[in-house]
Amino acid sequence: MLYREALNKAIDESMAADESIVILGEDVGRYGGSYRVSEGLFSKYGEKRVIDTPIAELSIVGNAIGMAIAGLRPIAEIMTVNFSLLAMDQIINHAAKFRYMSGGKMTMPLTIRMPGGVSRQLAAQHSENYETLYSSVPGLIVLGASNATYAYYGLKSAIFLNDPVVFLEHELLYPMDMEFKEIKNFDPFKAEIVKEGKDLTIITYLKMRYDVIEAEKELKKSGIDAEIIDLNSLRPLDIETIANSVKKTKKCVIVEEDHKTGGMGAEILAQIQEHCFYDLDAPILRIAGEDVPIPYNRKLELASIPTPEKIVRKIFEWKAENGI
Amino acid sequence: MEYKVTMPILSDTMDKGKIIKWYVKEGDFVKKGDKLCEVESDKAVMDIESFEEGVVKKVLANEGDEVKVKSTIAIIETMENGKWKMENERSEPDHLKSDEGKTEKHKSDTPENKENLQKTDIDSLISSIINTPSKTKKISGSASPAAKKKAAEYEIDIEELQNKGEIPKPAHLKDIDEVIINKYFTPKAAKLIKEYSLDINDFKLDHKIRSDEVLSYIKQNSIPKITKLTPNQIAVIKNVENSIKKPTFLVFEEINITKKEGIKLTAQIIKALSLAMQKNPLTRSILKENKLLTYPASNISVAVSRDDGLFMCVIKNAEEKSLEEINEWLKEIKTKKLTIEDLSGSTFGISNLGMFGIESFTALINDKDVGIAAFGKEKEGVMKVTFTFDHRILNGVEAAKFINDFKEEIKNV
Repeated sequence: MLYREALNKAIDESMAADESIVILGEDVGRYGGSYRVSEGLFSKYGEKRVIDTPIAELSIVGNAIGMAIAGLRPIAEIMTVNFSLLAMDQIINHAAKFRYMSGGKMTMPLTIRMPGGVSRQLAAQHSENYETLYSSVPGLIVLGASNATYAYYGLKSAIFLNDPVVFLEHELLYPMDMEFKEIKNFDPFKAEIVKEGKDLTIITYLKMRYDVIEAEKELKKSGIDAEIIDLNSLRPLDIETIANSVKKTKKCVIVEEDHKTGGMGAEILAQIQEHCFYDLDAPILRIAGEDVPIPYNRKLELASIPTPEKIVRKIFEWKAENGI
Repeated sequence: MEYKVTMPILSDTMDKGKIIKWYVKEGDFVKKGDKLCEVESDKAVMDIESFEEGVVKKVLANEGDEVKVKSTIAIIETMENGKWKMENERSEPDHLKSDEGKTEKHKSDTPENKENLQKTDIDSLISSIINTPSKTKKISGSASPAAKKKAAEYEIDIEELQNKGEIPKPAHLKDIDEVIINKYFTPKAAKLIKEYSLDINDFKLDHKIRSDEVLSYIKQNSIPKITKLTPNQIAVIKNVENSIKKPTFLVFEEINITKKEGIKLTAQIIKALSLAMQKNPLTRSILKENKLLTYPASNISVAVSRDDGLFMCVIKNAEEKSLEEINEWLKEIKTKKLTIEDLSGSTFGISNLGMFGIESFTALINDKDVGIAAFGKEKEGVMKVTFTFDHRILNGVEAAKFINDFKEEIKNV
């Protein structure tokens, strides 16, 4: 199943089941979504439930918040995370705070979908990852879908949660054909152990999952049995799964596409040392994007983010440096 | 309120005191001036009295323990404003609370309510502090947290070993594991542990464990020894697996051969084969992507059993080489460091098990070769040969002609 089809299926099925669900965003209706996620929904549910909006992110989220307060379950689509900066006040100051400001009397059943990440030569202003930003906001739930299965179940969970969810997608994943697994008792906040291993734990999320899987094949050839964890949920963080794995392998590598400084990896690293410092046999390695705006030039673009080759090389360097 | 009873400084030189005897136990009610315990310093034995009235909530040192001066040896819960006020009113961070700590808070008017006093947040807080593995703190030397934790568990002094240069700085888990193995296992036993990748925790680590003990454990649990295949072994496996996919046919023959002094039979066979190959271009051919590539030279792969494994070594331009040269090549190839040149470029192969007394056998075609000849032992000038041909390249007729040419040539070499 294509990643975007999984998202479409989740929205379609939810809308069919619950009339209070509406979607709104730029080009989500007649055009079918800039990444074809809402394809076919406009003709099926009509312009009252599939709403094309002006190019005004603040008002997209603002309107969605109003809908949520009034009893609807809106799904707002921001074309890319880069533009979500314009909606920041609504997301952080209103959506995230509403339940708290009302003393828990009112809920905010709002889902804000936004694709992000380094795609192919979209240059600095269209290549950002803002998961760190959103994950640092109390009151928000931040989910990241790396695969069709989680895209489907995760988005469905997000839609029916009564708290605001920032649902992160990655631009390179939409056309990817992925295996779809049926899951019973799905838990959106549970990290996935992609591959079990005993020598070291590699923690990753979103598109880096695939770079890590690629890198792991190389590690395997050298006799390194790595465990791969895909976080799925970035806030809350499934520290239990992470800590259990690190306690087993004693070594941990975090791979993220976002810039290294103050990134998601920094938070994960801090929590690991809080939970299992005495189980660590080596300093935790962070493999992350360089601290630069993402360049347009393809070679420089690739040089600024982790690739399977870079992941393998850095792991070997780290092993040699630490004598492990 | 809580009153902490500490080890008093009984003399100028005293840094530790030994608890000889406790007069009270947990839950006992004590008045000001009541004897709590008897302590021995470096100079004298004295009684310690309570300075407060209250209930002994916790006794933190056992009889016989040596305790540093000023450290707490007991905790007494005292009365405040005529009420037994528990410290647990103050909320503690969640992670410091044990499950037990979540039970209801107790207020009691009488000191007799002893049992209830035990189940308080402050209790679990204190015990959680006391029970933190102090061992990890004591371990000195440079090591990863995990290595330190394990070293503490097995009472290994990392700093000392590092000063002696026995383990690297900083030390990691694998270094500590090594030390533990060497500490509890004889060298022979340690070798077995590694060879069979055994978990040392499956053994009782209270004595030096010998190899027979390890061996009997291995036998009892029928644990296999794991040997990793060498790259060559893996290559051989791939080669024979590919070979089995080829459509082949077999030809069984006998040849007459006259042994020559100082020359290996294999050398004679190679020479004759190379000459026959010159007359039969298909035996110098290989298939590649729907094309037949025919090479000019007779390049023959020879199955050579070396110390480092079985190799199909290739002798190039065998038709141009003298018997002596081929004989010399056969000797050299046994021990020479092999290069990719020595292992590629052949079109036909031979395998000879005659020297091992084998009468006759069949062989699998090597790599891209068109065929292989398998030779049994020579008996009164006669050898049994089994030819295996790739039917995609050769048919029976061409094979028969090639074999007849070979039989002619072998008479003359």
